[in-house]
Amino acid sequence: MTTIGFDTSLASTTACMLRADGQAFATPPPSAERLLGPAAHSQELLPELERVMSEGGVGWGDVSTIAVGVGPGTFTGLRIGVATARALAQALALPVAPVSSLEALAAGAGERGGLERGDPVLALIDARRGQVFAALYRHGRRPEQVWQPQVLEPASLLARVDALGATPLAAGDWALRSRQELERVGAHVPEPDSGLHAVDAVQVCKLARDVEPVAAKEVYPVYLRLPDAEVNMRLTPQKG
Amino acid sequence: MAQPVTLPQRPLLALETSCDDTCAAVVTPDGQILSNVISSQARFHERYGGVVPEVASRHHLELVNAVVDDALATAGVSIGELGRVAATSGPGLIGALLIGLSTAKALAAAAGLPFVPVDHLQGHVAANFLAPDAIEPPFLCLVASGGHTLLAEVEDPAGYRLLGETRDDAAGEALDKAGRLLGLGFPGGAAIDRLAHEGDPHAFDFPVGMRDRSSLDFSFSGLKTAFVYKVRDLGTEAAVARRADLAASFQSAVVDALVWKVERALEQTGARTLAIGGGVAANSELRARLGVLGADRGLRLKVPPPELCTDNAAMIASAARFLEVVPHPGYLGFDAFARAA
Ligand SMILES: [Zn+2]
Repeated sequence: MTTIGFDTSLASTTACMLRADGQAFATPPPSAERLLGPAAHSQELLPELERVMSEGGVGWGDVSTIAVGVGPGTFTGLRIGVATARALAQALALPVAPVSSLEALAAGAGERGGLERGDPVLALIDARRGQVFAALYRHGRRPEQVWQPQVLEPASLLARVDALGATPLAAGDWALRSRQELERVGAHVPEPDSGLHAVDAVQVCKLARDVEPVAAKEVYPVYLRLPDAEVNMRLTPQKG
Repeated sequence: MAQPVTLPQRPLLALETSCDDTCAAVVTPDGQILSNVISSQARFHERYGGVVPEVASRHHLELVNAVVDDALATAGVSIGELGRVAATSGPGLIGALLIGLSTAKALAAAAGLPFVPVDHLQGHVAANFLAPDAIEPPFLCLVASGGHTLLAEVEDPAGYRLLGETRDDAAGEALDKAGRLLGLGFPGGAAIDRLAHEGDPHAFDFPVGMRDRSSLDFSFSGLKTAFVYKVRDLGTEAAVARRADLAASFQSAVVDALVWKVERALEQTGARTLAIGGGVAANSELRARLGVLGADRGLRLKVPPPELCTDNAAMIASAARFLEVVPHPGYLGFDAFARAA
C-alpha cells in the first residue's frame, strides 16, 4: 500500500509519499513568505511529487492510492491538483481519494500544535474577494467536523469565533493575514513560520485512509463559490 | 526470406484546452488522424454572451478525462501504446490551458512518456500537415478566429515567421460581437454568415482598418465600433428590420480587410500556396473571395475541413510531430502562458 497525496489549495505546493512500511516522505512546511507569496503549482507539483517518491525509492508502478486535497482554495490551484490526480489515476487505472483541504489543514495544525483530543481547531483559507473559507473541527486522530466548510465574510466569522467561548487554534493563510482580528476574538494563532499554517500532504495521505475512493472522472474541486460571472448575472435584474 | 521487421511508429496523444473547447486527438507520426474529439462548451457560455474564463476552466476539468478516453478508444490505442503526449501550452486563457497541460503532463509522467509543449498558433499552421490532404512548406498561412488573426510565412514544418497580427480585436471576435448586437446569440459569427446571404453587402459603408502598405497588421476595433454606432443610430427596430443588410455589409468589411492584407502578403513573399485556418476560415464569403483570388493568381488554396480549422487537438498533435521532444522528467515543471512572448 503506497499512497501518494498532494494539495494545491494554498499558494504553497505540498506532496507526500506514504510508503507501505508507514514511512512518509513529504515536502517540508513552507515559510510564511512562501505561503503568502504567488503560487506556482504547475511548475512545482509534479517535480515535487516525483522528488518525494524517488526519495522513498518508489516508482509510479508501486502506487496503490492517489489522494488529493480538493479544496476549498484558489480555483486555479485546485484545478491543477485535481487535474493532475485525475490524469495520474487515469494512466495508472487507480481511483482517487478526495480529501478536504480544510480538514487536512486542521489535522496537521492540531497534531503539530500539540492539541489534546477534542480541542477546537479553526481551518481558515483565504477565499479572495475579501472572504474566507472556514471550518471548525475538534482535534482527534481524524478531526471531528463542528462547522462544515463554508465561505464567510470576515465579520461574520469573527462574530462566530467570539461566540465560541473557547480558545480555538486558528491555522491557514487567512489566519496568518488576520492574526490581530482573530486574537481579539480569543483565537490562538501560531507563529508565522511554525509550519502550522499550510496544508501538509502527509495529512492528505493519512486522511485518505478514511475516504471512499472514487473514479478519476468523479473527482471535483470544492469551490464553495460560483464563478463571478454567474454571481453578477444573478445580481443583475434580467431585462425583459 | 524473412521480411524485415519494422516496428510501427507509435501514435501521439494531444490535448487542447486553450479556450472553450475541450479537445483530445490521436495522430500517427505520419499525420493520419486516428481520432479527433472536440467537446464544445458553447452551450454553457451562451447565457453569458461570451466565453467566461472561470466557467471554461471548470468545464474543461469536468470533461477532459472523458474526452481523452474517447480519443484513445476511438483510435483503438491504450496509453501504454503511445509514443509521446503533447498539449497546448499557450497562448490562450491561462486557467483553461492549465487543465490540458496538467492532464497531459501527468498522463505522460505516469506512463514514462516524453512530452511536447505546443504553441496554439503553430497548431493552426500544422493543421495543414495532416493527411489526407497535407501540404508542404513554403506557404502563406492566414489564421483568423475569435481569439486570433495573423498572417504567417511558413518555411519549415517546425515554425513560422509572423508577418502580421491584429493590434486589437480578432476578426472572429468582431463578427461574434456583431452577431450578438443583432440578437443572433453566441457565438454569432456563423449566424452572421447565414444571414449575410439574404442581405446587401453594399447597403452600409463600414471603414476598413489598417489599409496601409507599411504593415501587415490588422485592426478590427474601429470596424466594431462603427457597427455599434450604426446599430444605435438606426434604433433597435430599424436595425432588426435591416439586420440581413447589416450582417452582409459588416461581414463584407471584415473579409475585405483580411483579403486585402493577404494580397499584400502574397506580393511580399511571392508565396504560391495559401493556407487558411481558424474558425473564420469557415466563413463562406472569405472562402469565396480567396477562391477568386487564388484562381486569378494561379495559387494553390488549402482550406482544411471545418473541424480542423476551429480549435482541435489533431492540429496540436500534428505540430508535435515536428517539434522538440522533451524526455521524462524534463517537462514536469512546464507552465502555461497566456500571451505569446
Ligand atoms: Zn485557435
